[in-house]
Amino acid sequence: MQKRVRLAAALVALVAATAACSSRSDDSGSGSGSSDKPIVVGSTLSLTGIFAATGKIHQIAGQEYVDRLNKNGGLLGRQVQWKVLDDQSDQAKVGQLYEQLISQDKVDLVIGPYATPNILSAMAVAQRHNYVLPQHTAVLAPQLTYSCQFPAWSYGPRPNEFIPTQLFDAVASLPDAPKRIAVVTSQSGSAAFVTDGFGSDKTGMLTIAPQKGLQVVANVHYPPTTSDWAPIAAQVRAAKPDLVVNNGLGVDAVNLLQAMKQLNYRPPMMFALFPAPGPLLGLGDLSAGTLTTSLFQPDQAGKLGGDVQAIVDDFKTRATAAKLPYPVFETQAAASWNAWDILADGVKAAGSLDQQKICDSLHADGAQTTFSGKVTFDPADHNFWAGTETLAQIQGGKWVTVWPQDKAAAQLRGPAAA
Amino acid sequence: MTIAQAALTGALIGGLYALMATGLSVTWGVLRVINLAHFAMILLGAYLTYQLATSTGLDPILTVLITGPVLFMVGAAVQWAYDRLHVAEFTSLLVSFGLLIIAIQAVTLIWSADFLRMPGDINPYATESWTVGRFVFPVTTVLAFGLALVLVAALHLVLRRTFAGRGMRAIAQDRAVAAAFGVDHQRLSLVLGGVAGASAAAAGMVFALTNALSPTAAYEWFGIVFAVVILGGIGQVVGTFAAGVAVGVVSAVVSAAWSPATAPIVLFSAIVLALVLRPQGLFTLRSVVGAGR
Amino acid sequence: MRRYGGFGLAFLILAAVGLWGRDAGVPGFVVPLGITALFWIAQATSWNLLSGFSGYFSFGQAAYVGTGAYAVAVLTGRHGVSLVWSVPAGAALSGLLALAIGAVAFRLRSLRGEIFALLTLAVPFILAAVASINRTIDGGQGTTIPLPSVPGWIDGFPQLLFVLDAAVAIGALAVAAAVQHGRLGWGLTAIRDAEDVAEGIGVGTLAYKMWAILLSGLIGGLSGALYALQIGFVTVEGVFGLTIPLLVIVMSVLGGRTHWLGPAIGALLIVTLQDRLAASGYTDWNPIVLGAVLAVLVVVAPDGLYGRMRARPWAVIGALVVPIVAGYYIPYGDLQNWVLAGMLLAALVAVVPARWLPARLLRPPRPEPVPAVDRPAPPEPGPPGETVVECRSVARYYGGVHALEDVSLTVAGGELVGLVGPNGSGKTTLVNLLSGTVRPSRGTIAVAGQDTARLAPHRIAHAGVARTYQIPRPFDSMTVRDNVAMAGMFGRRRLPLAQARAEAGAHLETVSLDRLAGAYPGSLNLHQRQLLEMARAVASEPRVLLLDEAMAGLNPAEIDEAVEVIRRISAAGVTIVLVEHLLRVLNQLATRLVVLDRGRVLADGEPQAVLADPAVVRAYLGRQTRV
Repeated sequence: MQKRVRLAAALVALVAATAACSSRSDDSGSGSGSSDKPIVVGSTLSLTGIFAATGKIHQIAGQEYVDRLNKNGGLLGRQVQWKVLDDQSDQAKVGQLYEQLISQDKVDLVIGPYATPNILSAMAVAQRHNYVLPQHTAVLAPQLTYSCQFPAWSYGPRPNEFIPTQLFDAVASLPDAPKRIAVVTSQSGSAAFVTDGFGSDKTGMLTIAPQKGLQVVANVHYPPTTSDWAPIAAQVRAAKPDLVVNNGLGVDAVNLLQAMKQLNYRPPMMFALFPAPGPLLGLGDLSAGTLTTSLFQPDQAGKLGGDVQAIVDDFKTRATAAKLPYPVFETQAAASWNAWDILADGVKAAGSLDQQKICDSLHADGAQTTFSGKVTFDPADHNFWAGTETLAQIQGGKWVTVWPQDKAAAQLRGPAAA
Repeated sequence: MTIAQAALTGALIGGLYALMATGLSVTWGVLRVINLAHFAMILLGAYLTYQLATSTGLDPILTVLITGPVLFMVGAAVQWAYDRLHVAEFTSLLVSFGLLIIAIQAVTLIWSADFLRMPGDINPYATESWTVGRFVFPVTTVLAFGLALVLVAALHLVLRRTFAGRGMRAIAQDRAVAAAFGVDHQRLSLVLGGVAGASAAAAGMVFALTNALSPTAAYEWFGIVFAVVILGGIGQVVGTFAAGVAVGVVSAVVSAAWSPATAPIVLFSAIVLALVLRPQGLFTLRSVVGAGR
Repeated sequence: MRRYGGFGLAFLILAAVGLWGRDAGVPGFVVPLGITALFWIAQATSWNLLSGFSGYFSFGQAAYVGTGAYAVAVLTGRHGVSLVWSVPAGAALSGLLALAIGAVAFRLRSLRGEIFALLTLAVPFILAAVASINRTIDGGQGTTIPLPSVPGWIDGFPQLLFVLDAAVAIGALAVAAAVQHGRLGWGLTAIRDAEDVAEGIGVGTLAYKMWAILLSGLIGGLSGALYALQIGFVTVEGVFGLTIPLLVIVMSVLGGRTHWLGPAIGALLIVTLQDRLAASGYTDWNPIVLGAVLAVLVVVAPDGLYGRMRARPWAVIGALVVPIVAGYYIPYGDLQNWVLAGMLLAALVAVVPARWLPARLLRPPRPEPVPAVDRPAPPEPGPPGETVVECRSVARYYGGVHALEDVSLTVAGGELVGLVGPNGSGKTTLVNLLSGTVRPSRGTIAVAGQDTARLAPHRIAHAGVARTYQIPRPFDSMTVRDNVAMAGMFGRRRLPLAQARAEAGAHLETVSLDRLAGAYPGSLNLHQRQLLEMARAVASEPRVLLLDEAMAGLNPAEIDEAVEVIRRISAAGVTIVLVEHLLRVLNQLATRLVVLDRGRVLADGEPQAVLADPAVVRAYLGRQTRV
């Protein structure tokens, strides 16, 4: 029975630990100093599970924002405390945790989680309780029906039109503009809409390309869990496109480029929709010239002025300490920052924590965001303000803003010389 | 042409599937443990390859010379724990699932949840290939195929020809009787667990050559690996190899000829059909090692 | 019906807590956490109905959840159909899917456990891919479920969902309890222990498994339909992922697979643990703690916690309640932490060795009531001479091997026929043919006038055939008495359990096993197990009893005892076919001898004549022998 004794002792230790860690959940906090009770902002983030990589970025950016906010006096004269729980990338937990945060913990404010399905689940809860929900990364406007949901990252009310149009306009400006495109799409809700449209609105890359004089020579949809990229690469190679568009996420573009290279094929130009920024850079020459849609790159810091450079540097310090392999402040972190800006602006404009007042103020006056300037919210467009995204391109091993020309830090480069 | 090329690369990547699946299949068939921690070992193998290659500059393929023995010990240790705690069959499924969860989190703590990819100067193999006639052979999948062949051939010979191997097959059928014939179950099970661990190291190394690593990658292997293990006949090494190649080819051909989106439908429907027509496993040539449920 | 009143009461209490709890001071975490817990209770119970009770491990629970969720997503989310229709539609579709899976999987007679697991694993993959491709279902976009309008007297949507989930979960538990205690449950347990034996004593295994999978699918789909409401936005990855199938297995195995309450216990523990880990802020350690608790609990209690808890109920209840009550009054930390502490303490108390606990807290399990022995009415023996078994030109081929060739045989009522022959002559094959385990390749077989060649084995059992196995195959999870009672319950007479148990006592007396009636087969020696085989075979009141090498491995004293038993059985009017090697046994018992050699009937007649037949001698002793 010896082993059972040992195991039982382990269980006892566990029980003691759980009871003991109860004290933690009450006072994990930044912000002391003020004698008033802090304003509590509740949210979940995917800190473990499949979304953890990006969830971590939002956690670091959010904590940086709150620290900065508190150093500058907080909100309404009170310190701000951010209570963030791990939803384990599980949609069902998001709903449950937001429900608990709002109805049991009675947090003063909420902010969104990461990843579109989680955001939509959180939105449903926020809507029931009439809580204002600024959210970082859900851009598919038609899905976000709650009038007090405020996007921090917007491609306007029709993202399925904005993104292809911006891309095609950009490449059309090149001297040897591409004529044939291959569209390789991930069957993920966060990416497929750019190709296929949404619901009954079929506008998307496939319909806009012909309008811009481009021929779609390959149209491949793949499941997000694809492990064998060679057949897709073979199809693309056989189609001989001038521009390969990968409406995918994560490392899909990396896998695709690699698989194509293994077949001795290199596309003249490549676009990746929502890639994980770091891994693409590691491909060296293979990924040189790859385009993506971007909310912010550090090269914009000068143009935006103000504290932006300091924010970017502080983030780099914190992210490096957290062992992130790519500790650069870019689109995801900028979206997070915008969301907090919207929340803070709304509270300041309303002068109180009353959710209805905050929502009305935001509708009336919009918000001032650090990375997208002044944005206004029109309920008819589901609060999705006109997009301010740029196109970024890999040049010299870094992501550089190249389009539109008034924001470009470098020239858009055309197809790589053979 | 595209389809033929796809079939070729599909067969080659089937080698990787077989490499991942063989260790699981053998410990399942002989030792009656369904060891989900095998996926953890593949994951560890991949991350160790990444770490060794990036911090010491060692050629990533050669890292298996280090990760192989290390994971051999890990595999043997895990198997020893199972034996000591009398864990078998479906209990092992759960215990190993607990171990897998722990391992994935440990990997996250050490290496972060973000994607890690060996840069091109350290790992030139990711984009290399050999061209023979009109066909292209990507280096990494050829390596996987080769390693799988070696593993399968070695295991097959050992299981059929050596005393230890016959002993293992005897254990699978009746442990007590085998013991009466002098088969040392303890030692053999440690060796087998270790071999499975070493094969996981090789699989992880190949995976790290081609893919960006993330801790939750382990979950994405479940479907294909289980399909290969069961299609090939549990405990049947040659069958597992054939099943891996078949799965790779079918997926690739459907992806190229029709759409990658339909590949899972065709693949798993074909698996269902195959099992309905041949429930003992598609490639089982002889009576299966071990009794039924 | 009275025993199910408890479930109704439980539902009413839960509903009250959900609807009016907030005003009554019930803590705010109960409803959100409860929704999650009730969902998992329903899912784990649904899984256990098939996989725990019958042993057919399914990895496809996600198929039911996904089907139910997508029915609601498509009907309500995309087409505005009322939930009143779409939720039941989800359940119905899921049930149909379950039937389809069962129709494919259960018809395969040689289906092994792992094959079934893979078949069920493949289904969610296929459904997920179909949903992803098909734009009318999903097309990769996901579907938002609009908030249903909540009646005015309900506080809010979560409260409504709580009540609905409670109804489904309690309903699932009630169904599981009813199944377990009813005929279906006994049949499934027999299937789990030894499926072909169960079929042989009259359990219609195909029908029972189909019922189990249908119930599993209906409940899983119903709960899945409500899950769509819970998450509000349905995506392929969210409902068809591997998390759900793995977690339901974890919860059921942790809690205990053989009892209807087991999965619920596992579900409550895991859900509470995960919730507290998420709230603790120690994010980095969440999964490690979860994995460790899981591994430890499974190793320490491989049969599940429920069985252990039941053995010491007061200790467990005390361990659970004390911390919760303490937490209510002591203002230290969240109440949920105390609830978790209580659960873990209860689990701990359940698994520690008995000597650690004060004896007062331990209550031995209630012994089974010993039913009165009830002598069954003697079967009407058919008129002697009536043909009970008739084989005409029966042949059985295995590939190129002719196991049996042109065998014709008639057995009349009351006879005791010895079936002999050298190894490989086809004796066991003939027994298998008569009992229906295999089908004849050619020829006809009739039992009591009924053609059995095309019947399922359990129907042949109902026609009056019973057999024993050369290597005894008792139902290991049942007592000796229940083993015998199974034959009465599922045999020709289809007795209710209580009466079958009573009559079992009499049958056990016939084989002199009555003093071991409450023991489990694991503790019996070989001889006793063979006697158990015979008792079980006799209990189904067969017209013909096939005894396959019933004396194998016995010593002379035991053989004599067995001969006596067989004589008693024969005297009661049962026709017997005895496959045997031992000449002295045949001499003592057989009224007739049939000799098989290499698949053919060599001799058939009175024992003395047959044994003197030179052909028979040559078959046994070799061609060179001179008589």
